[in-house]
Amino acid sequence: MTVKECYEKINGDYEGVFSRFRGDARIQKFAFKFLNDGSFDSLTKTLEARDYAEAFRAAHTLKGVSQNLGFTGLYQISETVTEMLRNHPEDYTPDMLDKVREEYDKTYAAIKELQASTEA
Amino acid sequence: MSDKSKLKEKILIVDDSEMNRMILSDMLEDDFEILEAPDGPQGLAILQQMSSEISLVLLDIVMPGMDGFEVLAVMNKNQWIEDVPVIMISAESTPSYVRRAYELGVIDYISRPFDSLVVQRRVLNTIMLYAKQKKLMGLVTEQMYEKEKNTSLMVTILSHIVEFRNGESGLHVLHIQTITELLLKSLIKKTDQYHLSHADINMINMASALHDIGKIAIPSEVLNKPGRFTDEEYKIMKTHSMIGASMLEDLPFHQDEPLVKVAYEICRWHHERYDGRGYPDGLKGEEIPISAQVVSMADVYDALTSERVYKKAFSHETALQMIQEGQCGTFNPLLLECLMDVADSLVEEMKSASLNTKNEKEMRNIAEEIMRYEEMEGSNRTLLYLDQERAKNRFYSSISKEILFEYTVSPSILTLTEWSAEKLGLSEVTLDPLKNETVLESMAQEDIQKLGELLHRTTPEEPEASYVCKTKIDGEVKERRFICRADWSEEEEPVFRGVIGKVEDIVHEDF
Repeated sequence: MTVKECYEKINGDYEGVFSRFRGDARIQKFAFKFLNDGSFDSLTKTLEARDYAEAFRAAHTLKGVSQNLGFTGLYQISETVTEMLRNHPEDYTPDMLDKVREEYDKTYAAIKELQASTEA
Repeated sequence: MSDKSKLKEKILIVDDSEMNRMILSDMLEDDFEILEAPDGPQGLAILQQMSSEISLVLLDIVMPGMDGFEVLAVMNKNQWIEDVPVIMISAESTPSYVRRAYELGVIDYISRPFDSLVVQRRVLNTIMLYAKQKKLMGLVTEQMYEKEKNTSLMVTILSHIVEFRNGESGLHVLHIQTITELLLKSLIKKTDQYHLSHADINMINMASALHDIGKIAIPSEVLNKPGRFTDEEYKIMKTHSMIGASMLEDLPFHQDEPLVKVAYEICRWHHERYDGRGYPDGLKGEEIPISAQVVSMADVYDALTSERVYKKAFSHETALQMIQEGQCGTFNPLLLECLMDVADSLVEEMKSASLNTKNEKEMRNIAEEIMRYEEMEGSNRTLLYLDQERAKNRFYSSISKEILFEYTVSPSILTLTEWSAEKLGLSEVTLDPLKNETVLESMAQEDIQKLGELLHRTTPEEPEASYVCKTKIDGEVKERRFICRADWSEEEEPVFRGVIGKVEDIVHEDF
């Protein structure tokens, strides 16, 4: 699996991230690091604890990271959640987190697959 | 390669997301040395320790705890923002956020997603811009320094020509300068009615060396006559003040130079007396410029304490008494007070007023002056000195097995040496330590409060305090002594800014 194929799988912005990072090597390096990024976990925990101020920051971080890496799907949903938490945290419903999780899992799985193919 | 890495500019990245720090670091680490901080307090701690070494800060805005705006506020308060450029790197592109960041002194804004070329170019451009500015400031300072040094040198040469013709050693001019400086510094502590800045004092001091240049026109048989003057000779002698003034007035150029103006006042009026019985104009009281009043007193004191062909030197005490009693004419009562106030240091300073120390002192004065003139450059240099001091302190504290701490009130941050942090189970930088559980376990709230009150009762003049109480260090609870030094601001109404200190075991006398 190539980096490009990995991005195609998640409808990521491969061209954008390629030109910004100037090469596959750097994209791959940070995509792998993303597997250990704590912002999604932090978002889950803070939302469960109904700590919306902290949840906003976690969503904000997740949004920034996924934007940097060109994970378009994850970026868009985390942006929606970020703005919601910023302006109307009282409107939060658990299905929103489910949507984020859906994108996160998809992204996570694709990167895992890429990682497995490079190790093979 | 190792040489190159030493020369690399340092960039501080403050961002709570490790991913973002890594991405930026990766884009920049070939050309720069990267320092990272995961939150505001740690970023500030790094700035506090080494701000003059840091060429640029990349700052995130939305962060837990202390956000980027608060970091900027502290950077403004400590004037770091003037020397260290900050580029905002937040994912936040709301116009009100960006505007507020610019208002707080941010120089540029890099939006996400990060583009490696854009990041590299912006960072490099900003650093180059600041480097150019710093270089320019350095050049200006250098030139000012050279100019002042040359002026001072010319004045010294000129006044010595007069002195040597006068058969004096050259020490007279140095003495006059020494006394003048002491009197003026004492005077500005007493009153601001004369509106004297440090620059003015320096100027008067330099110009005082010229007070007797008119003597160059006095025939040498009068000037160097080994006995008392006849009335006629005394009359000729007295013309030296007006002649000196005319010489300056007739200068074809530089009439507007402050030095020339002050020197004119001093030459013409340094033999006037406060009651109007001096010469050449018989000016009275405050009609006599303060520069001339001070030099006149300095001149009299030095004449009394020096040996002349026709008289022996009077002692310091006798000279003071004669001046106070008005035996050498009437002086401004305020200046008489100043003379008594500086009496002790006068003896010391006159002893050490040799040619060399004087030059050194002048250099130091000029350097001080430049630092005052150039507030911008000043803050820069101060930082540099502070850094050197800190480097020393870091070394001392690293070899000392004692609890050493520093606390700043705003922001409320406790900084510990590595060793101390380990013994107390705290991190090296603690935000809001007064609400920190580990801190409160080490020391009772009541004792913290008492120590705080004790420190607030100190003064900028006597900032030290010591306090004994039970503390828990490395699991061991016992009585220990805090030795502290409060940090007061230099404003007129000093503000308590924090404290540095150590905690030591109490050594019993019978031990």
